[in-house]
Order: sequence, then C-alpha cells, then structure tokens
Amino acid sequence: MITFLASHRFTAAMIPAGILLFLTIFLGRFFCGWICPLGSMIDFADLFIKRKRKLTRNTARFRWIKFGVLTALIVMALISVQFAWLFDPLALSNRTFTTSIYPIFAVLIETVFGWLWPITGLQSALMSLHEFLESWLLPLNLHFISQGIPIFLLFLGILLLSLIAKRFWCRNICPLGALLGIFSKYRILERTVRGVDCTNCRICRVDCRINAIEDNFINFSKVECIDAFDCASGCPENAVSYKFKVKGVLPSRIDFSKRRFLQSVGTGVLSAGLLKIDFVNRETRGNRVRPPGALPEAKFLDQCIRCQECVRVCTTTGSLLQPAWLEMGWEGIWSPIGSPREGYCEFTCNLCGRVCPTGAIHLLDLPKKQKTRIGTAFFDRNRCIPWNSGDNCMVCQEHCPTPEKAIIFREGEFITGEKKIKRVKYPYVKEDLCIGCGICVTKCPVEGTAGIFITGEGEERFEEQEF
Amino acid sequence: MAMLSRRKFLSASSKIGLLALLPPIAPPRTQFRLFDRAYKPTPDLFVAKTGAPAELVRRVVRGLGGMEKFVHKEDVVVLKPNMSWDRTPAQGANTNPEVVAEVVRLCLKAGAKKVRVFDRTCNEARRSYEHSGIAEAAKKAGADVYYVYKRNYVRVKIPNGERLHSWRINKDVLNADVLINLPTAKNHSISKITLGIKNLMGYLGDDRGKIHRHFSQKIVDIASILRPQLTILDATRLLLRNGPQGGNLDDVRWIYTVVGGTDMVAVDAYGASLFGLDPETLGFLEEAYKRGLGEIDLKKIRIHKV
Repeated sequence: MITFLASHRFTAAMIPAGILLFLTIFLGRFFCGWICPLGSMIDFADLFIKRKRKLTRNTARFRWIKFGVLTALIVMALISVQFAWLFDPLALSNRTFTTSIYPIFAVLIETVFGWLWPITGLQSALMSLHEFLESWLLPLNLHFISQGIPIFLLFLGILLLSLIAKRFWCRNICPLGALLGIFSKYRILERTVRGVDCTNCRICRVDCRINAIEDNFINFSKVECIDAFDCASGCPENAVSYKFKVKGVLPSRIDFSKRRFLQSVGTGVLSAGLLKIDFVNRETRGNRVRPPGALPEAKFLDQCIRCQECVRVCTTTGSLLQPAWLEMGWEGIWSPIGSPREGYCEFTCNLCGRVCPTGAIHLLDLPKKQKTRIGTAFFDRNRCIPWNSGDNCMVCQEHCPTPEKAIIFREGEFITGEKKIKRVKYPYVKEDLCIGCGICVTKCPVEGTAGIFITGEGEERFEEQEF
Repeated sequence: MAMLSRRKFLSASSKIGLLALLPPIAPPRTQFRLFDRAYKPTPDLFVAKTGAPAELVRRVVRGLGGMEKFVHKEDVVVLKPNMSWDRTPAQGANTNPEVVAEVVRLCLKAGAKKVRVFDRTCNEARRSYEHSGIAEAAKKAGADVYYVYKRNYVRVKIPNGERLHSWRINKDVLNADVLINLPTAKNHSISKITLGIKNLMGYLGDDRGKIHRHFSQKIVDIASILRPQLTILDATRLLLRNGPQGGNLDDVRWIYTVVGGTDMVAVDAYGASLFGLDPETLGFLEEAYKRGLGEIDLKKIRIHKV
C-alpha cells in the first residue's frame, strides 16, 4: 500500500487503498483493528504468549519508530529505492503464507498420507481422500519454494515482539500503521468517557492492545487508536462509548520529534545509498529470467512488493518462479526469478500477470505472451547427451512448446573413445524461435546441471510506451 | 498432569511394541491382475475410414467382435489415451476426446464395473486434462477421471529386459482387468512417429526422461510387460510436424481413420504407413518385432476395412 508512493504509476489496486485512506480520515485506524491480516495473526499468536508483566506495558516511548520507518521508506522511494515491501503488512502476510505456512501445512498432510499408505486395504480410500483434498485444498504436486526460512523468521520475529507488549509491532513499527495514524489525526469518531461513572480502575488502559489511552483514562490518541473497542467492551461501568463528533474536533499529537524525523531521513538516505551502490554481478543477474510481461528491471524492482502471488500461482502450473535471494542484488531480494531446473514457464499460462497486484508483471494476453521472450536456451555441449556421448536423446526437443519448434536436430558424425564413427542427431537451438520458457532445462534427463541452460539473453520486458 | 513413572512408561511402550508382532491385515499382493488375463494377439487390424470419430470407433469395435470379447462383466478397465499436453483437440497432440468417450461408453455397455482414465502428463496435469477435452468427455461418458498419485506406483520386474530390468509402474494399471491403449498418431523427433508403444510411457513412474537414451530398446522393454489387450489408434487426424505436442494447426491433417487390433505392434506398423513410413525403418518397431512382441510386416498383417 505504501508501496504505491514509491511507484510512479497508477494501478487499479490503488483504488481500494484510496478508499481506505479516505475512510481513515473519519474513522481512524479501523484497518489495523478490523482488516489487517497481520494484525489478526498477531492477535491470534497472543493467545499463546505469556508476558512476564501482567499489565500492558506503556510503550509510548517507542511510538516514534513507526513514523521513522515510514519516513525512511518514503525517502528511499524518492531516491527510487523501493523497500516498502519489507514491512508492508499485506505483502508480508501473503509472502509468509505462500512461502512457508501453506507449504508446511501441505507437507504435514502429505506426511500423514505417507504413514497410512503402507497399510494394506487402505490405499483406495486414501486415494479417494487425496483426490477430494486436491480438488480444493492440496496442490497436485508439491513444489517447494525457496526462501521460506528467512521469510518465516521475519514473520516469527514480528509475532515474538508481542513478548514485550501486546501488538508491539502495530504500536511501534508498522509503517502502514504510521501512515494511517497520520491520516487519523483529525478523526471524528471520538472515544468518550462519562466522567461520573469512571472509577479510575485502569482496566481500559490495561486492556487497550494498542496503548492508545492516556494516563488519565479519559483522553486517547487518535493517531494510535485502532477502533478495537477493547476499552468499551471491558469497562465494568460501561462508561466508555464511541460517538461521531463533528464539531470542535480535537486533533491528537503525532509522537515524532523533529530530531527523530531528521534521524529517519538520514537513515533513509544512507540505506538507499548503500542499496544503490550494491554491485550486482552481470553474470548472476544475466543468467536469471524474470516472469513474462515484467517491466524493465529498474521499474520492476520499484513496483514489485514481493507478495509472492506470482510465485504462488506459478506453483500450480509450470513452477518456474521462485523468490530470489541475492541473485539480483540486495535490492532484488525476494523478487520473482526463474528457476528453470525446478520448473518452467507453462506455454498456455499467463497467471502471473493476472495476479500481480501492482502491475510489476504486466498482463499479456496469451498470443502475446506466447511470443514474448524471457530468455534464450543454450546447449552445454559438455553435458548434453548427444553432444557429449553420441547417443540420441530428444527430451528437450519433445517438450519444446513453440508451434515451430525452437530446438531442431542436425545429423552428424560422432567419434567415440574407441575412434569409431557413429551417426548422431545433434540438437540446436533456433534462437529466433526460442522464448526462454525453460521446459527444456526442467525436463533434461542429465543428472545435476542440465545439458541445456537459459540466460536472460534477448529478454523482452514490457515497455509502457512503445515507439 | 500426573507424572509418567518409569514403570508406566515401560509397560506402555512394551504394549505398543507388541502391536508390531501382529500379522499384516492382508498379505501384500505379489501378482497383479493385468497379467492374469490371457493375451493372444493376432495380426488382424480393423480399419474404419470416413465418418464421425465415435462412429469410426463403433465400426472398428464391431469388426473386432464387439467390446464384450475383451471386457467382461464387472471388469475394471483402464484406458490410456494420450493426454500429455496442454493442447486443444484441434491441435492434434492428444487423443481425440470423442474417440475416448465412445470407448468409455462401449466398455460400460459391455458390463465394465469401472472405467478409469488417467495419465501422467508432461505439461501440468490440470491444464492437460482440461484443455485436451478428454477429462470432460470421458467423465460425461461415465468414466472415473483422476490425477495420478505419486505413491501409487510399484516397482515391477522386467524379466526379459535388455536395458531396463525394473521400473516403477502405476498400480491402478497393474490391478486392472483390461487395458485399452488409445494412442493418437503423431510425428516425433527420435522415433519419427509416436503411437501405441510410446503411449505406454504415461504409466511409468520415476524420471521418465531417462528412457529416452537407447529409446527403442527401453520402450520395448516396457512394452514387453505392459501389454494392452486392445489398441485403438486414433488417426482421425495426423500431427505431421513439430510433434509430439504441435501447436500449429497447419501441421494437422484430418484423415478420419480409426484402427483397432489386439496386436499393438501391428497397429503401430500400420500407423507408420499412414505417415508414408516403412515400419521396418523405425527402431522401436524393429526392436519389438525382433523380440516377438508383434508383427510389423505389412504383408503379413491382415487388414479388414470396416
């Protein structure tokens, strides 16, 4: 969401974001309390977390951090280094579910099947059950996604912050919370306390998961309040209620000093600088492909929020895409790259473009996508079976999906170790026909490194204006 | 919670240990049903030309003596169409769905308990099942259509194998009473064309890519143990170039022909002639003939036009 500030484009996904911001002006951070999936998961995890101190700690002194994070991210975006995805709660939730939680779940179910499978007489029942499960819940084939561990650890770290205080992340770090908080400054949904009924019992102050209630139990911070209504439901005297108050709106203070602001700007500038000077080896970068319809690299990195939606849908078809680690540099962490030894770009599929929420992958219609080159295949003649050992093989050619095959054979002589001459069909790549889908690499029967590989050679990125 | 004492732990674990001594509920099956049914192929081919695909199939099966000859009451039948590719019926990469549906109907009419249709696809399974049109057509005709499950394979010995001595094969095929092979006629780079014998690869587990080296010998090794009682070749259209998955409509020629026979090798030999190829020049057919799996001499194959 904040990501959109970093990109210089208007996309359809910005409309709900705009509506949300508009409503926030009046209602406050209702998103954090009622919609945010990360917030819900933090609340859920809270059920299992035992804090040393029973009373919720007052963490107001850390509130500034989230504004600092937001400032730094915006500053970075202005220098055209988009890193908002790292902490965006929506992207973060989706990323964690796609790369770790769902795969763990699927593997565990599959493990149970593995335990039961050897029992004679149970197999047909298990197969029916599996058939039923795979119709709505389980993947047909388990395709593992890389980076599940670091992505999960970041998520786990966020959940564990609740050890310090309830919703510590939402209170003090979440940049989206900060942005919404700023918009809530003048909200008209007012928390009112009937002073006569209030017994100063402190229950509301302790219950408030977001630490928004001031020491007098009457005042609250409009910037912090997430409309969870803990205070209203927990008040033994029913003294707390929420009402719209249009006249005489009292704004709340944003806990962000000038000094902290300048520190955050400095941090942002420095981080952006460090990321900009990152040396990305031409070899590691050039050997990787991006999804079909991806914007030119710099724009792509600006727009991609690492939500892993493309990776998720890709595992249901060809399974080409994987989140990167450092292959595309620090700036490219967790952005989708091709991993053709594990999977390929399915010829009749354009799902990645369909699901991309930011337009980093442009939706190409199928005929266009089928002609869009994401890379080019090259034979490794030291490994390819006909080239290396003089035996015919044609798995790559068989799978090549272009209507006019991009892999062809030319017959030639092969001299064996015993100096005998054999006739062999040598495979070649017709570069003008190859689209770099990588199915040849996936299906190559050579163990380990395939006899054919893909590089980004000749890749076509989607340009918005074509002259 | 009550503490678990050492005594309790030992007694409980020994009880659980005793369970391991129980005999298995049923002894594991060593012999599979597919190998039980007598198999006597004859080089008689029934060829139907010009007509709607379903009608062609009916004519061929009538010529063969009716489906009842192969499918008995309460039989479990497995059909092997080619549905490997994420391609539409018009592109000619997969078996014509109308042919598959008609065979399903004939099997059920003959009294089959179950007709099963599945394939280990080359492209993603859901896409191939749907886009080939076969999943829908076969389901409508009354077949069980499902995806293969990775655990449902068993290693089978290949007694007379030259290159392969065992391979993992889908259990549902091995447990079937009748196996009907429904290949489609396509161009293929190494074997030149792909027909019935190659179609059997859809039942193999493991890394099938490994088969493609010394292809003729290996595929015939497989054919020596997986022997369909009936092969019906869908040559309603030929994929002439860029096989086995095509994609270009110009490469497809419609000839509205269906060929049926009990000798899979003879069916393939006849199929080769449809492409204007001499069966004896095709490595896998020559190999199959050499091992006595079937007839490839077109003069010795008896062709009945139906």
